Amino acid sequence: MLWRKMLRDLRENKTAYIACTIVIAIGLMVFTSMSIVIDNLNNAKNEFYDTYHFADVFIKVKSIPHTQVKQLKNIEGVDRVQGRLVRDVRVLKENSDKNIYLRLVSVDLKEEEPLNGVHQLAGFPLTSGEKNIWIGSKFFEANSLTMGHELFVLVDGKKMKLTVVGTGQSPEFVYAMQNVQNLFPDPEAFDIAYMPYEDMEVLFANSGMVNDIVLTLQPGYTLKDIENKLEDRLKKYGLASMVEQKDQLSNVMLTEEFKQLESTVRSVPILFLLIAALILYIMLKRLVEQQRGQIGTLKAFGYGQKEILIHYLSYGGLIGFAGGVMGGIFGSLLSESYTQIYQTFFNLPTLKNTFSPKYFFMGILLSMVCSLIAGFQGSKGVMKLQPADAMRPSTPMFGKKVWIERSTLIWETLTVQGKMAIRNISRNKGRSFFTFIGIMVTFAMIATMWSFQDLIDLMVTDQFTKVQTHDVKITFTRPLPMEQVMRELESKKGVKRVEAMLEVPVTFKNTYRKKDVMVVGLPQDSILYNILDEKENRIVLPKEGAVLAQSIADSLGVSVGDTLHMESPWAKEDILYVNVVAVIPQYLGSNVYMEQNALSQLLRQPKVATSLLLSMEETFIKALKKEYNTSETVASFEQNKQMVEKFQELVGSFAYMIWVMAVMAMVTGFAIVYNSSIISLAERKRELASLRVLGMTPREVLEVISFEQWTIGVVAMVAGVPLTYLLKQSMASSMSNDLYSMPVSTGASSFLVASLGTAVAMIIAQLSVARKIKKLDLVEVLKERD
Amino acid sequence: MSIILQARNLSKYYQMGEVTVEALKGVDFDVFEGEFVVVLGPSGSGKSTMLNMIGGMDAANAGEMYFKGKPLHGASEKVLTQYRRDAIGFVFQFYNLMPNLTALENVKLSVEIAKSPLNVTEVLEEVGLLDRADHFPAQMSGGQQQRVAIARAIAKNPEILLCDEPTGALDLSTGMQVLKLLRKFNETHHKTVIIITHNAGIAQMADRVFYIKDGRLDKIEVIEHPLSPEEVSW
Repeated sequence: MLWRKMLRDLRENKTAYIACTIVIAIGLMVFTSMSIVIDNLNNAKNEFYDTYHFADVFIKVKSIPHTQVKQLKNIEGVDRVQGRLVRDVRVLKENSDKNIYLRLVSVDLKEEEPLNGVHQLAGFPLTSGEKNIWIGSKFFEANSLTMGHELFVLVDGKKMKLTVVGTGQSPEFVYAMQNVQNLFPDPEAFDIAYMPYEDMEVLFANSGMVNDIVLTLQPGYTLKDIENKLEDRLKKYGLASMVEQKDQLSNVMLTEEFKQLESTVRSVPILFLLIAALILYIMLKRLVEQQRGQIGTLKAFGYGQKEILIHYLSYGGLIGFAGGVMGGIFGSLLSESYTQIYQTFFNLPTLKNTFSPKYFFMGILLSMVCSLIAGFQGSKGVMKLQPADAMRPSTPMFGKKVWIERSTLIWETLTVQGKMAIRNISRNKGRSFFTFIGIMVTFAMIATMWSFQDLIDLMVTDQFTKVQTHDVKITFTRPLPMEQVMRELESKKGVKRVEAMLEVPVTFKNTYRKKDVMVVGLPQDSILYNILDEKENRIVLPKEGAVLAQSIADSLGVSVGDTLHMESPWAKEDILYVNVVAVIPQYLGSNVYMEQNALSQLLRQPKVATSLLLSMEETFIKALKKEYNTSETVASFEQNKQMVEKFQELVGSFAYMIWVMAVMAMVTGFAIVYNSSIISLAERKRELASLRVLGMTPREVLEVISFEQWTIGVVAMVAGVPLTYLLKQSMASSMSNDLYSMPVSTGASSFLVASLGTAVAMIIAQLSVARKIKKLDLVEVLKERD
Repeated sequence: MSIILQARNLSKYYQMGEVTVEALKGVDFDVFEGEFVVVLGPSGSGKSTMLNMIGGMDAANAGEMYFKGKPLHGASEKVLTQYRRDAIGFVFQFYNLMPNLTALENVKLSVEIAKSPLNVTEVLEEVGLLDRADHFPAQMSGGQQQRVAIARAIAKNPEILLCDEPTGALDLSTGMQVLKLLRKFNETHHKTVIIITHNAGIAQMADRVFYIKDGRLDKIEVIEHPLSPEEVSW
């Protein structure tokens, strides 16, 4: 019978309880779906890495004989080692001015179980001698290729024909980005192609040589243990870089994604459950208070403490269960589409969605535990009531003045409704605090979500409109004499300005810390590539010393004034020293900047350029590109405009997610404000009905409740500003890495949107309360005694 | 004297599950301006229903009701709210003061929505509570609270002061003070006062008494020489 009473009680305030259930469901939906996706990704990743022997160490050298690579096996700690040729080539596609590149990776057909083995997805086996390739399936689809398709690529200035015989995927390129700057894979413009070594050595006239080494370590060894020995052996072959599995580009992106997913799973559901628990607590506390008489009657009948407590706990239990089941079901469904999204970004052949009863039940358990605790806290007052006391009405509240009344100036400007509202805030401090927290969290959540837009603006748009202000960047296959190439380009039609750029791979060391970075040498008066400080003021590169990106300075543990050890395959001397003269925020990528001449002098190299930055008239770009399209010295020809467009396309899909999250935050805000209004309404039914009898319109009566909420709301929104910064700070520190770092700054527009969003949630909640006020049965309410 | 309220064949039924309860069964009456009327009846006689009709809080199922010739039957909620706002001053049995407003603020609350309100301070002085203006309801006795409630009703300067068992929760002497105030308002401001009660003693101070019995207006008694509040006893 009590069960039925509960169901009817719930029905009486169904919107409030449904809102609470939805908040729980949202939290658990995130929990279930993300947890499943993490498992899916993890399983697929581990399976792929294991089956295809993902290497532990990745080394790039200029050129080394195959035989020398085999010798590396003698180093203690090295398990297996393989050499490969890895070269980026440009694909020549008719009627397309898009830059399309393939990374050719050699495959040793004789090797039974090669490191970074290639999983064949479709097509025929690779055979040597016919310039056959396997290609990434995403590229294959994006460019609508067919088996047997002939691709023309540019190798050292010569046009070569390759035949696509199949599609394949290696654990090394799960996230196939051409370089760090790209951030996202673009399967139409870049992918990996696998080619028999025998064909590649002929193609690049590199007989018996390789430029890339992968190796696995014996158990118990790390790269640190063998690093020095490797360096000694490889230095003379032009060692360019040496990274561990954990720093390998594709693996880093995958790991970063895991980190983000895991931090979401840990934080978002808890936030929602906490809010739901708060709502439940307040609702049940109020319900118990309201039903004192009923509880007394039940006790007088002979119902025990426990039975009554269980009765009130069942409210929380039922809501927790319903929310948990809903969240579990929707989460499981959502994991399907999440997994699909990940399939488009990550090339994991065995990635598929699996229903996980584990998370489904964990979710239900989690939500029930939360709801029961909240329910117990809310209803434990039942136990203290004596039957006789319980049937007597609770002692009436005592009106009193609040501190704000001391300021007569403000107080006197308020209407009497306003005064009531202000005093009501302190009338039930617990609930006011709950409303405050709820609105503050809602505001901060919307602001944080929305500021991702600004963030992308800062990270991407700024990078291409304020930092990289050139129109075209031409990258060479090898360093070229600076003055000569500049002179050549300056004479071209439409070219307004030419600046040389020198990009040098170096290793910086500070005590035990070490970092491989790209040093970018720029002219001091560069206007095509601007180095900006945090206030976006241009920094003039000093004649000596280096400017570091914040993330590099952090990971090396240095600040302005410190001296760094520097090593480079380009340097004439083994160890160089360079001073840190400035540290700048860099959101996309992380580099070190030096004045061009200073860099050349430091390396004791003649003046060379690895690329040129051009400012030129749009109409001439196409012609220029065509001219250099087949040049053997030109590795790439990038147009800034295309890069921006590419990024903006990606940002578009991101905007959708922001909307979803913002709406979720608004639903939460609505649930909180609605519940707190419903409770106020129930508590003050008699008061509000009296106001109606006095002749106030429903709108005027609503003002008493809404004025109170807006007062709390405005204060809460103001408090939400620092909370937003706090949220973003913690997100930034958990999400920043070498590829990108998140700025913490939040634009005014985000706060404006957050204010609007929060206000809309509040207004919608108040409108439904207004309907309830209109329906107040004056005769009935006034008949009831206090 | 002109008619301020007019009821014709006023009827009201309540559906209580499967049973229909007839609370008012075709009641006719006129109330004149400046009159002091007591509606008298035992509990369950339909007097509360009549109060709700007069107060514009409930709509009749049948019959007609006019305030100064304007129909209230079938009027929209908006019209009824306006009617309560402008024409009616309500005094409840249990005062129904806002617990978190002081005496003065409770009075101001009704003044804020009134068309031609009286001076708040003067009204509070009239009910003898100026020195308590700053007190909250919980800091006052029942009689004081009822006086605040009367002040709140009077201050709006309504055409009709409608009182629901105004002395019901009070002892004799405080009840008498309250009645004095009601009479004073009736005399000095020349406004209509309608008291709804089951207390036959109060009837002695009325100009006319409406006897309600079993949902019907049993009889209307005109009292030639109404007693003063001090003379009333119960």
